[in-house]
Amino acid sequence: MFRKSLLAFAISLGVSTALPFAASAQDAAGDVPSFVQNGTLTVCTNPTLPPMTFVKGSDASKPEGMDIDVAQALAQRWHAKLSIIPMDFTGLFPSLGAQRCGMVLSGIIQLPAREKNFDAIAYQDTALTVVARANTAPITSMADLSGKTIAVQSGTSYATRINRENEALTAAGKLPIIIQQYPTEDQVVQQVLIGRVFAFVSQDVELYFRQKQLHGKVRIILKPDYPDYRHFAVYFRKNAQDRIMVQTAIAALEQDGTLQASRQKWSISAQSEQALTQDESASSFNWSAFFSALTSLAFFKGACITLAVALLSHAIAIVISIPMAITLNGRGNSVLKAVLKTYVSVFRGAPTLLQLLFIWNALPQFFPIFREQWFTPFLATLVALAINESAYQVEINRSALSAVDAGQELAADALGMNRKQVYRHVIFPQALRIALPPTINDFISLLKTTSLASVISLQELLAITQVQVARTFEFTEYYAAALVYYLAMVFFFLFLQKRVERRFSWADRKKASANAS
Amino acid sequence: MHPDLQQPDAALSAAPSESAMISVRNMSKLYGEFVALDRLNFDVQQGEKIVVLGPSGSGKSTLIRTFNRIEPHDSGSILIDGKVIDEKTNLTQLRCMVGMVFQNYNLFPHLSVLDNCTLAPQLVRNTPKKEAEDMARRFLEQVGIPEQANKYPIQLSGGQQQRVAIARALCMQPEVMLFDEPTAALDPEAITGVVSIMNTLAEQGITTLCVTHEMAFSRHIADKIIFMDRGRILEITPPETFFTTPQTERAQAFLDQMIRY
Ligand SMILES: Nc1ncnc2c1ncn2[C@@H]1O[C@H](COP(=O)(O)OP(=O)(O)OP(=O)(O)O)[C@@H](O)[C@H]1O
Ligand SMILES: [Mg+2]
Repeated sequence: MFRKSLLAFAISLGVSTALPFAASAQDAAGDVPSFVQNGTLTVCTNPTLPPMTFVKGSDASKPEGMDIDVAQALAQRWHAKLSIIPMDFTGLFPSLGAQRCGMVLSGIIQLPAREKNFDAIAYQDTALTVVARANTAPITSMADLSGKTIAVQSGTSYATRINRENEALTAAGKLPIIIQQYPTEDQVVQQVLIGRVFAFVSQDVELYFRQKQLHGKVRIILKPDYPDYRHFAVYFRKNAQDRIMVQTAIAALEQDGTLQASRQKWSISAQSEQALTQDESASSFNWSAFFSALTSLAFFKGACITLAVALLSHAIAIVISIPMAITLNGRGNSVLKAVLKTYVSVFRGAPTLLQLLFIWNALPQFFPIFREQWFTPFLATLVALAINESAYQVEINRSALSAVDAGQELAADALGMNRKQVYRHVIFPQALRIALPPTINDFISLLKTTSLASVISLQELLAITQVQVARTFEFTEYYAAALVYYLAMVFFFLFLQKRVERRFSWADRKKASANAS
Repeated sequence: MHPDLQQPDAALSAAPSESAMISVRNMSKLYGEFVALDRLNFDVQQGEKIVVLGPSGSGKSTLIRTFNRIEPHDSGSILIDGKVIDEKTNLTQLRCMVGMVFQNYNLFPHLSVLDNCTLAPQLVRNTPKKEAEDMARRFLEQVGIPEQANKYPIQLSGGQQQRVAIARALCMQPEVMLFDEPTAALDPEAITGVVSIMNTLAEQGITTLCVTHEMAFSRHIADKIIFMDRGRILEITPPETFFTTPQTERAQAFLDQMIRY
């Protein structure tokens, strides 16, 4: 309570000094910040941090939480349409920099280091907490963690903060705290639940909300008093006028009770803390959770997206790699050949994840049109994976084409067929037999590679799984359900491969005779 | 001039003959710097059977491949049925008229025997499927393997495959047939079968150019022997003259080799 009023006071102080400017700026600029474009407020968020921002239902594109409430209230105030872009935490600030969104609202601590690059306005008090498994005795200071392993979410500032503790520990001749970083908050919690790490670092509001899921599984063992870990803030690109407008808006939402109502709604209150000091024993595999995950629409949709991305990107890869392979197999040297060779080595050499991140985050810096709404994560993944896969498919096609006897082309030519007919009716059917097994192998590997696209917010199967795990912490059950989906898809394609191979019995004397009889 | 080089036939005019099936004048072919065919001159009349002989690497395959322009010639002229063969020639028309059979059969392994025979007529001549199949069965009958129509090439013996290759070429209803060592990969029994098919074709009056060392064909069926060495034609004579009294030492040496072999 005290902290909340402190924030309100700070905000009103800021607003009262800024108000004269604010009034004139509003008159001049039509009272919306510059990052509200075409009447739309675009907000980037990483929906794995309940109760600030998370996916409650099955629709992964519609996060909920206090951050989303704040975003909605702000959009309403500015008479703008709200567009929420869910994405990986590490993608948030690059996306803000790339102007893919106007604002980042994702339960992010207000820190001076971040304010060097972006403007930040606080809207919610919070405190850092150290959480361990149930039945762990409370500790008295961060120094007690010396030599122990703790987990934090990567991309957050907790690691930096703990490294500062480590400097003090090393200076005092003690062992440092060992830090492990995980991409999502729920994976961080899992490490504590399975006992791999001693504790994790998080914010109290999140724990309050999760008390129902975590009840009896974990407990708060320390709340260190870090003054710079006390506020969640909205971030936007530096702009003095925008800053004043956001500040005014947040202060107004605090005054009219909008923020307070949202806090109540998401049980962000001190009472919740009590629940996290009681212990209980852990449960075993929850079969009903597993089956409901398996039959849920969310998982089915995720699997469909995974399958669609893999099929489409591989289809594109095959189509573009065939002319590439024919050119590379041709006689002599040309500039085109050199260019294609470079293309193949670059895209085979660079990690697929890097290519995805490059296309999603770096491309908009060079070509602003990739910032626009039409360039969806689906499209970006399709482009990245198609390009990447084509570099591998070229090699498959090349060896398949050169494995077809040169006499075949000669005979087809001598029968008067044109180039197109020779390839379509004589060379491709034979090359296909050779290319098919490695191509299906590649496809299966591509199907699994699509899971990387969760970092650019594509809601494929693994992203869905992670979002669901963040909601319930029934990770074993959800991982098992995802595994069933992946295996089912892979087995289907292996079965298909066997079926298709039967059509190539012409290449095997025994099989050909067996088929004929 | 090469001491052995045969002077152009006295009857052969400098201008290409319009009435001949094939008329070759001063025709040369290069592979880079290498002269594979060196200023060749000869005519082949409609219905004539020509056997091309010569040591390995003398340019026999290259020569017959210039007639369906699988290997384009570089200078001089080739007329087929009175039409000039050059880069402006409609290759589809040319190859409908000039059929070719290879040493290694080069059947399409992914197609049945019947489909091997009907593919090109359907694609190139736009023959309806039914008609193409009827014709294919007729030619398979003629080459003596009508019962193999539905098998794949891999299921056939070498001799049977070469018969299919001949039937496949005949399905295009060519006026000239080119054979490049059609029996070289076959055992003696299969050779006899393929040669007898070639004899039948010859009797039917189809113009034939054949690279072969098969005596049964070159001695008894051929109208003329073309003897080549190092890209040049050293002799063009009837087989009885060539095999008994060859004009050049090179041909004599070649024949000695052939007999001993
Ligand atoms: N594509 C090519 N590139 C370069 N040189 C070639 C090519 N094809 C053939 N040659 C050369 O041209 C010459 C004639 O070759 P060709 O195949 O016509 O001989 P051939 O008389 O058919 O021999 P064989 O009896 O061994 O089949 C040979 O010296 C060969 O090395
Ligand atoms: Mg040859």
